[in-house]
Amino acid sequence: MTKNLLNVKNLKINIEDKEILKGLNLQINEGEIHILMGPNGSGKSTLAYTLMGHPKYEIAEGDIIFNGELINDLRADERAKRGIFLSFQYPEEIPGVTVEEFLRTAKTSVTGKFHGVIAFKKLLKEKMDLLEMEEEYASRYLNQGFSGGEKKKNEILQMSVLEPKLAILDETDSGLDVDAISIVAEGVKRVQDDKKSILVITHYNKLLDYLKPDFVHILLDGKIVKTGGIELAKEIDERGYENIRTKYSN
Amino acid sequence: MDRWDKMKIIDKENFIFPNIIDYKKDYLKSETKLPEGVVLEKITKGINEIIFDYLNTKEFQGVGEKFTSLAEESYNSGIIFYIPKDVKVESPIKIEFDMDEENPVVINQNIIVAEKGSEGTIIMDYTSSEKVGAFHNGLTKIYAKENSIINIIKVQRMNDISHNFDSNIAIVKGQGQVNWISIELGSGISSSNYSNFLEAEASEANLSSIYLGDGKRKIDLEYSMIHKGPRSISNIETKGVLMDHAKKVFKGNLDFKKGARLSKGIEEEYVILLDPTVKSDSIPALLCHEDDVEGEHAASAGQINENKLFYLMSRGLEEREAKKLIVEASFRPIIDRIPYEIYRNIVVDEVERRLMDGKN
Amino acid sequence: MERRKTYIEDVDRGIYDIKNKFTYRYKSDKGLTPEIIIEISKEKDEPKWMTDFRLKSLEIYSSKPVPTWGADLSGLDMDNIITYVRPDADMGDSWDDVPEDIKKTFELLGIPQAERESLAGVGAQYDSEIVYHNIKQELVDQGVIYTDMETALHQYEDIVREHFMQLIPPNDHKFAALHGAVWSGGSFVYVPEGVNVDIPLQSYFRLNAPGAGQFEHTLIIVEKGANLHFIEGCSAPQYRVTNLHAGCVELYVRENARLRYSTIENWSRNMYNLNTKRAIVDKNGTIEWISGSFGSKVTMLYPMSILKGEGAKSEFTGVTFASTGQYLDTGTKVVHAAPHTISSINSKSISKNGGHAFYRGLLKVTPDAYGCKSTVSCESLMLDNESASDTVPVIKLDNDNIDIGHEAKIGRISDEAIFYLMSRGINEEEAKAMIVRGFVEPITKELPLEYAVELNNLINIELEGSIG
Repeated sequence: MTKNLLNVKNLKINIEDKEILKGLNLQINEGEIHILMGPNGSGKSTLAYTLMGHPKYEIAEGDIIFNGELINDLRADERAKRGIFLSFQYPEEIPGVTVEEFLRTAKTSVTGKFHGVIAFKKLLKEKMDLLEMEEEYASRYLNQGFSGGEKKKNEILQMSVLEPKLAILDETDSGLDVDAISIVAEGVKRVQDDKKSILVITHYNKLLDYLKPDFVHILLDGKIVKTGGIELAKEIDERGYENIRTKYSN
Repeated sequence: MDRWDKMKIIDKENFIFPNIIDYKKDYLKSETKLPEGVVLEKITKGINEIIFDYLNTKEFQGVGEKFTSLAEESYNSGIIFYIPKDVKVESPIKIEFDMDEENPVVINQNIIVAEKGSEGTIIMDYTSSEKVGAFHNGLTKIYAKENSIINIIKVQRMNDISHNFDSNIAIVKGQGQVNWISIELGSGISSSNYSNFLEAEASEANLSSIYLGDGKRKIDLEYSMIHKGPRSISNIETKGVLMDHAKKVFKGNLDFKKGARLSKGIEEEYVILLDPTVKSDSIPALLCHEDDVEGEHAASAGQINENKLFYLMSRGLEEREAKKLIVEASFRPIIDRIPYEIYRNIVVDEVERRLMDGKN
Repeated sequence: MERRKTYIEDVDRGIYDIKNKFTYRYKSDKGLTPEIIIEISKEKDEPKWMTDFRLKSLEIYSSKPVPTWGADLSGLDMDNIITYVRPDADMGDSWDDVPEDIKKTFELLGIPQAERESLAGVGAQYDSEIVYHNIKQELVDQGVIYTDMETALHQYEDIVREHFMQLIPPNDHKFAALHGAVWSGGSFVYVPEGVNVDIPLQSYFRLNAPGAGQFEHTLIIVEKGANLHFIEGCSAPQYRVTNLHAGCVELYVRENARLRYSTIENWSRNMYNLNTKRAIVDKNGTIEWISGSFGSKVTMLYPMSILKGEGAKSEFTGVTFASTGQYLDTGTKVVHAAPHTISSINSKSISKNGGHAFYRGLLKVTPDAYGCKSTVSCESLMLDNESASDTVPVIKLDNDNIDIGHEAKIGRISDEAIFYLMSRGINEEEAKAMIVRGFVEPITKELPLEYAVELNNLINIELEGSIG
């Protein structure tokens, strides 16, 4: 029997008195791939940040249950240790901190096990090879001077090193060319297995050609208004969100 | 070296004031009818001290106490401009001082008060006729209350044997805004100070300026943005050109006081140097007693970009023409902020005249 | 890279061999008099010109006021200046007198007990010669001289006389004059033409010789085409009971030579550090300053590069970290005095827990120095709103054919950056420390590994408990 991994119940988020998420429900079981689609401003990134525990997004109502544990009040680092990963739409640049140093610290912290320099170098090299990343990336400063595509690849590299239970990909496909998308998709697929799940957040469906989603959700005005299979994504692709919007605004 | 920043090019302490005589010409040019309640009049002795006491702040030095007290105590001209609550004065208030043989001295005190939600624009133009060693010492005080906007444009194009001293202070309340444009094109000695006190939440001050130093002129500029209120905003953008034997000192102070959290200040000074004989000194200071602020300053100095010059000359322009064009282009964004075409043209003409008169 | 610290054992032996040999021979007198100066000079058996130099300096010292433009120096007992020059015999002679915070820092940095004592200045009454005769034989064979200033004054009198306080004349300021009058100890390095010293020379222990850490004089001459890296100080706090440090560093970089001068200054928090450092660089020579200021109560320090020869170059990389009770007024001065000279300044400051970091800089281009280039970058990080951070760069340009760019930024660690790191499982405190370490990385990467490690440890100690 499949085990529930993430259970979001009636989630309401306000930012500066404005309601962004208005009672969102979402269930993700182990081993599933979910796609969350929605137009700009529908609350997609808000959901991503909220699941990761950004202090700006205060939960007004509702519960986030991860692996059977209520995580509403956990900090971002605590959630990361429990196996949640967010691939940022706009990753931060951290000058002076190398990719390798950063990831080794993160890996040690997330696993609670010390990762020595030499062993970690080997692990990192393997993961980078799979993503077709040049070795010199490891010694570059985290995201500093990276192109848009390099930043996204770097996010996927981090994901593959940290091996989360739930990976949330926030617009990871935007700004990538076709070749990069297939590499990223490969990387994502490699992380996923029958225990690990993925939530892809996107406003269009470039990644869908590579990933086989179990569920597609449509987010409109802070609520999931429709859930279906891959055909739903195709429908959006052809007819946009307007059709669905008119149906659900009544 | 007992002081760190010995940067005096004008000996203000020993400056001797000329005899103060009346300025008899009419300087208040606005003809249009003003909205009800607006006060616009020439300043008269005795009345304003009581009303505008709150403008006296100890932190304010202007170009020097000697000069500000002269303007406060012995002015021979100046205006009072008062805009009542929520009133917008559409047409600009024009003040023109044209110093000549009979009227070579202007010591003016100008007081501008914008009540909540009001708006107004003032243009002040200073000229002096040929061969007259004129003297201007001014003090302009602006009090911009909540949500008000004051735009003030100062054009100084006095001749090279004149002396100019100009102190300006703005006190800006919550969400009020003061926008300065300062055009420094003339006077053998010119010293100006603009001090903006951003007192409350989201107070804002913007200062765009250009200066052109030619001949043996000496220019001393000090711009201060004192952030006291949270989320206050300031911008200083200065473009300069120095040629011949001109000397310039620029001091830009971005000062974040404690409590100015989430404030933002940017200060930029770019100067083009056209001759080996110029002197260009700058101190872009950034002072900070509050952590949650964003402060930035940038300064650059150098010759005209060679590639640009080459490009223009390859299209048949003479070097002098090409340089003039590039200098004008650097001034252009600031000049374009002057909201009235006639003044834009006056400024462009004066810039061109000075550039062509130089030996470049 | 060779780890120079391996001679710690030698040092220990040195300490035990000659412990307590040194005794203070003077009881403190009120003012500084010519008699005292003559006495100091005589005791050191100095040539007459040096005695005269000291006396002249004393005259200048007496005539100059205490500078008022920077730090508040009222905590210095100027009427009783003699106590700084000739401390009482019973001062700081016992490990028990060393303040707790310094002992704790030693512990956290993992410095062994014997070394701790020497750093604290209590057990360090050894003859510095013992340590420094370790200079590699092959360097000696190539003519490299590395000795203490007293020895140099006797053995290389002509060189010393030609260079001593020529770059920093006693009339420069009051504390330079004081230095000229009472200087003692310090390093002398001479690298002959074309010699490449491939390991850094360090004055690590020298500063702990009695009295030498107070008014030490460093004189380095790097001849044509030669190359040297000199490291001064270390990242453990140096403790002195007397709290004035007025050293001088004079660096001569000849044609095509290169000198890197690195300092990690971490005086104990009672120190007034009023140090003067200056380099003069000939044609196509390069001076590189790596400067870390962490300790002291008050610091005023502006290493200066005079680019005298065409194509000379200076690079300054500085980090200042000001915490509780500290006012660190640091920066750099560059004078472009010849054509096509190049300078770059990269300054970073951090202030926290009420500390005040002040960047003060001077960039000067003389009328003949055409074709110069300079880039200046000042970045300040504020870790809380109890602290203060000021940046006052002075730019003086006296010709047009130059390319000068200046940038400064101030701000705090962004919440978004912290969240990003936390989302990868790193806790808030470590995330902040990581960002701060990244911020100072431009300096750590320039240091030999052991110093870089100590510097990072030091930052962790500084940040411990203050954030999170």
